[in-house]
Parts: sequence; structure tokens; C-alpha cells
Amino acid sequence: MSLKVSLLLDGQLVAGEVKAALDEAVADPLLRDRYTVYGLVGDALRGNSTPDDGYSERIFERMRRDAARIEPGYDPLADKGS
Amino acid sequence: MLTPDPDAELVRLAQAGGTKAFEALVVKYQRRIARHVARYLRHAGDVEDVVQDVFIRAHRGLASFRGESAFFSWLYRIATNAALSHLKRQPAEVQLGDDSPEERATAFEPGVSDAADPERTLMAKQIAETVEKALAKLQPDLAEALLLYEVEGKPYAEIAVMLDIPIGTVRIRIFRAREFIARRLEPVLGQQRNRRW
Repeated sequence: MSLKVSLLLDGQLVAGEVKAALDEAVADPLLRDRYTVYGLVGDALRGNSTPDDGYSERIFERMRRDAARIEPGYDPLADKGS
Repeated sequence: MLTPDPDAELVRLAQAGGTKAFEALVVKYQRRIARHVARYLRHAGDVEDVVQDVFIRAHRGLASFRGESAFFSWLYRIATNAALSHLKRQPAEVQLGDDSPEERATAFEPGVSDAADPERTLMAKQIAETVEKALAKLQPDLAEALLLYEVEGKPYAEIAVMLDIPIGTVRIRIFRAREFIARRLEPVLGQQRNRRW
């Protein structure tokens, strides 16, 4: 249910509950939609510019296109270049 | 007193290879990172490219994140580095004046980066107006809990003390407030549903 998504967004679930809530969200597009919209509401309240035009989907697409993977030894804080 | 990182478990799952856990972090922080990056850059198209770079770098470097700071603080520093390195790669003619990137960030005017894209600006305006109207109609105790959390940045436990209510009630009030506003946003966002997470 959406309450769990609200708690997931705020880090209010304990470890096992996070995995369960995430699994539920993965299986249910409506829950993922709520997760997105709840976050958007918070950003709007804080005055952040909040267009909702597939921004995150384009990030995921770029990650898929670049075959993004975790690289042990890579420190992004030390990455000052390209 | 150290506040536990609210993202610790999602990060742990992402570090273990959980793509959806990392996506949940992207969805949560994309707009805050975009706003931070936009403080350094002046072209809307560049902002999105740099935000993508930020999350690519963060994902690549997840193994190096040891939880010594909150995940968002770590992400924020990556975003600063990515924005500055982007600026340094720009030809001199597109840079603004002689200010350093850090000085330009200090002089940032909110909204400048969106001005280049009227559609995005309009959508953001509609969302902001709808949220504002919904907030005005929201039951006051729900609005109070939501604003304390989202705007004042108070943790749930502190809100419970401030309002003299159990923490479970804080959870319910914040959820109900969000749901109330989300329902009123549906007409504005409906056509975009298939473009979200």
C-alpha cells in the first residue's frame, strides 16, 4: 500500500521492510508512481523546480545505454575530469 | 548526535547490485541534484546531461561509499565536482564574465535555468500551483506534519515530540497529506504517468 511507499521515501522502514516495500513497488507501477509523486510534492513544497517529464527515465536509459556498473576502486569524489 | 542515514538500506541493496534500489535513490534525489547543478550552469540542456553524469558516477562509485556521511551528502559532492568539471570544459566564450564557477553558483538566481524551456517552466508552474492549492485545503494537522517534515526538515521523532503525538501518527499524517495532494495532482500529471519510474 502507499503508506509503505511514503515510509520508504522517508527512510522510515527497517532493513527487511525496505526490501519488501521495494519488491512491492517493483511489481506495482501504481506504487512506483506514488513514490515518484510523493517525492515531487516534497520538492514542490521546498520550491524546487518540478517538471515531471521523464527525467528519471532518461537517466535510467543512459545507464542502460552505457551499461553502467559498479566499479570497485572508482572514487567519484576524486573524479574531477571528464 | 549522528542522525542515521535514511537511505542506508537502499544504498546497501544498491551496492549489492540492486538496480531498483538505485533507481529509487535516483527518483528521490534527481530534482534536488538538478537544482544544485543548475546553480552552476546557465543552460538547461547542460543541466540534464550533468545530472545524468552525476548518477552514472555515483553508481560506478557505489563500492567506495562507506557511509561516513549521508548518501545525499556524498551525492551532492559528486554533483558539485561534475558541475565544476563541466564548466571547465566549456569554451571561454560561453562562460559568463570573469567570475569563478563558485562565484557564479553564489550568484545563482532561481529559475534562470528553466527559462530556456517554456514547456518545462509551465509544467513546473502548474505543479507548484496545484500543490499550493491542495495544501490550502488540507486538514491543518496533516498540513502541519507534512510541512514540518518536508520544509522544516524535522525528523519524524522530533515532529512527534513537537506535536505531542505518537510517531505512528506522524507517519500516518504525512502519508495522508501526501496522498491528498497526489490525488489533486493527478489531472496535471495524468498524461505523464508512463514517463515516470
